[in-house]
Amino acid sequence: MKKLFRFAAALMMTSLLASCGGDDKEEFKPSLDPETKCDIRVVGDYSNFEALEAEFDKFNEFYPKVTLSYQKIDDYTNNLGTALSKESDAPNIFFSYASCMAGGDKYESARAHMEDLSDPSLKLNLDCIRSGLLNHGDSGEVYMVPVFSRTYGTMVNLDLFKKENIEIPATWNELLAACQSFLDKGYESPMMGYSAKDSSCLMNTIAYPAFVAELAKKPEALAKANNLDPEAGEYMRGALTKVKDLVDSGAIDIDKCNLISDNYTQVILRFFEGDVPMMIAAADTVSGTKKRESQSTAFSESPFEYTYIPIPLTDQGGYFIDSPSVEFSVNKDCENLDMTNEFMRFLVRTEELNAMASIKRLVTPTKKLSFDPVYAAFGEIPAERTFSPEGLGVKDPLAKQIRLASFKVGKGTLTVDEAVSMYGSLE
Amino acid sequence: MKKRLWVSIINILIMSSMLAFVVLYSTFESRKGTRTQIEHFKNTTITMERVTENYLEGEQRICDVWTHYINTKEMTMEEAVSFIRVSHVLAEASAHIVYADTRVGLSTKAKLGTTDDYAVSYNTADLQDLLNDTSWISPIGTSINVSRAYTNPINGKQSIAFCNFVTLQKDDQPTQAILLRLLPVSELISTWVFPKEEYESAELSIIDADGDYIIKGASFKNASFFEFYRSYNAIDAASAPEFFEKITTTAGSFTMLNSHNQECIVAHKPFDAAGRWTLISLMPMADLATNSQNWLLISVTTSGLLLLFIFDLVVMRYFNKKLQAAAKVAESASQAKTDFLSTMSHDIRTPMNAIIGLTTITEKNLGDQKLVAENLRKINLASNHLLTLINDILDISKIESGKLNLTPQNFSIVATVENLMNLSQPTIKEKNIDFSFHISRMDKEYLYADQLRLNQIYINLLSNAIKYTEPEGKVCIDMKEEESEKEGCVKLTFKVSDTGIGMSPEFMANMYQPFSRQTDSRVNKIQGTGLGLAITKQMVDLMQGTIDCESEQGKGTTFTVVLDIPVADQQRAEMKLEAMEVLIIDDDEILLETAVDTMKSLGLSVEQATSGLEGLGMIRHREETGKNYDIVIIDLKMPDIDGIETIRRIRSEIKTKVPILLISAYSWSDVEDQAKDAGVNGFLSKPLFRSTLYDKISEILETETESAEIENDYSDLEGMNILVAEDNDINWEIISALLSMYGITTERAENGRIALEKVKEAEKGKYALVFMDIQMPEMNGLDATRAIRALEDPWASSIPIVAMTADAFAENVTECLQAGMNGHIAKPIDIKLVIKVIQKIKEESKQ
Repeated sequence: MKKLFRFAAALMMTSLLASCGGDDKEEFKPSLDPETKCDIRVVGDYSNFEALEAEFDKFNEFYPKVTLSYQKIDDYTNNLGTALSKESDAPNIFFSYASCMAGGDKYESARAHMEDLSDPSLKLNLDCIRSGLLNHGDSGEVYMVPVFSRTYGTMVNLDLFKKENIEIPATWNELLAACQSFLDKGYESPMMGYSAKDSSCLMNTIAYPAFVAELAKKPEALAKANNLDPEAGEYMRGALTKVKDLVDSGAIDIDKCNLISDNYTQVILRFFEGDVPMMIAAADTVSGTKKRESQSTAFSESPFEYTYIPIPLTDQGGYFIDSPSVEFSVNKDCENLDMTNEFMRFLVRTEELNAMASIKRLVTPTKKLSFDPVYAAFGEIPAERTFSPEGLGVKDPLAKQIRLASFKVGKGTLTVDEAVSMYGSLE
Repeated sequence: MKKRLWVSIINILIMSSMLAFVVLYSTFESRKGTRTQIEHFKNTTITMERVTENYLEGEQRICDVWTHYINTKEMTMEEAVSFIRVSHVLAEASAHIVYADTRVGLSTKAKLGTTDDYAVSYNTADLQDLLNDTSWISPIGTSINVSRAYTNPINGKQSIAFCNFVTLQKDDQPTQAILLRLLPVSELISTWVFPKEEYESAELSIIDADGDYIIKGASFKNASFFEFYRSYNAIDAASAPEFFEKITTTAGSFTMLNSHNQECIVAHKPFDAAGRWTLISLMPMADLATNSQNWLLISVTTSGLLLLFIFDLVVMRYFNKKLQAAAKVAESASQAKTDFLSTMSHDIRTPMNAIIGLTTITEKNLGDQKLVAENLRKINLASNHLLTLINDILDISKIESGKLNLTPQNFSIVATVENLMNLSQPTIKEKNIDFSFHISRMDKEYLYADQLRLNQIYINLLSNAIKYTEPEGKVCIDMKEEESEKEGCVKLTFKVSDTGIGMSPEFMANMYQPFSRQTDSRVNKIQGTGLGLAITKQMVDLMQGTIDCESEQGKGTTFTVVLDIPVADQQRAEMKLEAMEVLIIDDDEILLETAVDTMKSLGLSVEQATSGLEGLGMIRHREETGKNYDIVIIDLKMPDIDGIETIRRIRSEIKTKVPILLISAYSWSDVEDQAKDAGVNGFLSKPLFRSTLYDKISEILETETESAEIENDYSDLEGMNILVAEDNDINWEIISALLSMYGITTERAENGRIALEKVKEAEKGKYALVFMDIQMPEMNGLDATRAIRALEDPWASSIPIVAMTADAFAENVTECLQAGMNGHIAKPIDIKLVIKVIQKIKEESKQ
């Protein structure tokens, strides 16, 4: 009897230990014949996708005879439907964007090819993804699985703050004070960013999170804003005022920012010059920093520590706007669908998604945000200041209005009042 | 130990050198093979580039032809598109014509999923770069104007476009447009056919001057090949531009790590005509069909060398052990021989000293006859010992050289035993040894064997027993004849037991080895060569017999020799005596038993008494009853009253005249007179052979027997004349003098030729026989004998010739007999033996 008891106790302990050790390391167990020979093609609008190619290599450890490749489709949004309609050689997996593909006739043909990835028989671990990033259909269908997410914030040169003995700002007033301190110490534009064109401009990066936060508080406001109701312009005021205040206070010197010729590489290289305390940018831009560290002569000669934080627009801190950046959809009509789903089952796990995010230096869509120190600050933002535009139902036209309004206010071509009144008609 | 270590080290060094050579050679060959394969891979890539370029040129030419036709016909866009649509041959190919300024136009094929949408635009963000700058499009026929791979907006396929400027009519005005002949990349890739068996894992890409992929193979990573290289391989910023420039401007190869950290061979060949494109081929080195390392060869060589090394070690160790053992044996033998020579030197010098010393003393005291006689007796003893020593040495030499041969002949075992007794009696008497000799069932008297060697075996064993037995000790011989398993043979067992010093087990283990003598203070006092047992064992082996020994130190030794000896064809005639009553008196119960048995077989009625007194009583009783014994046989040595006293009492007290024979295992010389005085009628030597008993009893009863011998009667020899062929004066003098003692006259022939002449010229019967030396000048003894035997005169040719020579080996004896001689006497001569031979010949001549 004693022996039986000991055995049962040992068994229970073993089970407990095994469950404790599980953590977020979901083990992948191949379910198909490892000798399967087939091709899997992923298409998207990235010109290259090294992070995904690294996952191909890992997957090949389980299925060595599966050839996986990534291909860019030029003019992606226009050509995707055509590529998916091919009788042969149609892609197995394609990039999808909930923000634009969730509705509209343009993407109808693409949507028609999307497989429901919430199908339990596929055994995808969608639970590893932050719930706000998943766009569910009426019956809970999931056609797009985010592999990266995007947010808005500012890169911070930690060494400069340290050098000038200035604290990293955590609130709006601290931000203004920090900028003033830098100005006092001779820094001409403590905050910079891309401002040449409205696309991905620094003004939108400041205003958009504040506008979304405002809309999130008032459900009726969101509906108005989505409908481009001019009355909704009033909800932009707070966000636009923040932009104006930063420009007016000298924290942002627009003329200097205008010298940055593109919204990606040049933004990064300018930040790597080492004299900008804060470089306002979307997370998509931050993703290019790792690769460009070696390409920047200034940074190579004088490297410094940097991080990416939400811009502290309130007295409590900044907002975490959590949007899917790139999502994967499976072409349900493709050849080798079983192996395609097997690859998705392999990929949609915390370990692999984080690995991709690490290589691409994009924000991971998984619940484990803290793994990358650059984005760790966003993991500390409380739920009340975390918003998912797609989850809220923010539509593209709305986003365009706030982008144009903030751009113009920042540039000084419109006042805040003018911009507010022109909501819905800004071009 | 050090030598062995050195040998092992040298072996290992040689092995290591050979292995190093094999590895180096294999590596060299492998590298050579790899270089060849790389060169081959590079050449294959160059070939692929040619194939690709030819393909591109061919497609460009089609584009050129269309362009030329469109330009000459002044077509509108619709007409040009219609013309191309008709001219299309390839199903996968299509063409776009767009105005140079607006970059919009028409496609020859409708957009996928539509039937009438032919509109095409190159104004999208991703395609703008293609036609914004058209400087890469050269005038018609001057080069290959091929675009990067891009997504065909009409069918979504990755394609490349061959381009030319065309002039179209638009609003009746010539307007510049761009003709794009699109081919799916898959079409181009299908022209790349690597030799699959060699380069199954090889992949190709085409890059432009900036390293960006025009066409990207699956294993190529990143958007640019240069970035791919940088991502997995270290290269400093300074040397990178030159390295990448080299890739896009020259044909060559290099190695790099891919995303799997595998070493890959990369071959590059720039296109000659297609802008600044370069064909890049990549393949893991591991998949290159090189015999990387010939591990099989290395493994086999290593195993072989290792096995050889182990085998060598084992064999060397084995041979070394054998050599060590052999060396030890040789060393031991050498030491034994050294010891032997030392002993011999001592043993030879001792009797020689006696001979020389006594001779000197005798020469100075010739007047003292008693001293002379005593000295001569001692000289004789020393001489005999010396002779034995020399004979042993010669025998062992022959044994060791394998030249000891047996010379079988008919002989009497009785005579052999008598001889044995005669030879041993002096020592037995001298040491007062209690000696007994029992025989059992000795039916066959005449046997066929090498008597000389048999004698030697028995004499050696007996003399050892006597020699190593302390005075007053006991020596006993048991001889018995049994049925043999060998046909025509009897099994003769000869057992000698003594109460001597015995032998240690250690010595017994090597006692048959030549030159071995027990290390014992008592042994050292005894003369011996250490050869006796070795000779005995060799002779027993030669006669296919067995010799066993049981010994205990301090208690005595027993040697048992068992030989299967063929029985001679001729035996004595049946021996039967008249029915007579015999009394035998002896305290030896075994002798009584065997003697009674033997006498009964002769037809006698036997009674026995175990003491003199008992015998006396029985004889007295017979006398009183008037039934006297016919013969009484009495043993000399008995516990209460001895044989002589018993005889004396028989004669004095009973006063019977019954014939009495005295038996003894000892010499008669001391008691002969005393016994005769007591009234003995004759003597019998132990052991009591059947023939001995028969002959003696017959003699006593004056019964004639065929083989009765007259002992010590040399009267018949007087007057005999013998020719002695002897070249040596002293030897001649000795033999002449010795023979003259027996009344025999001699004539000398100084060599064989003279002997031959003398025999030839002699009258019949002048010489009774010839003693022939062998080694003589002018004519040797053998040739002389052959010549004599060849004489015509029957007497002369049949005259008995006996060799008298120092050539004493068996083969010498055989040689003599074969030459026609009748016998052989070895020098130094034993005069008794010489006389026996003469008597024998005389007897034979009578017959």
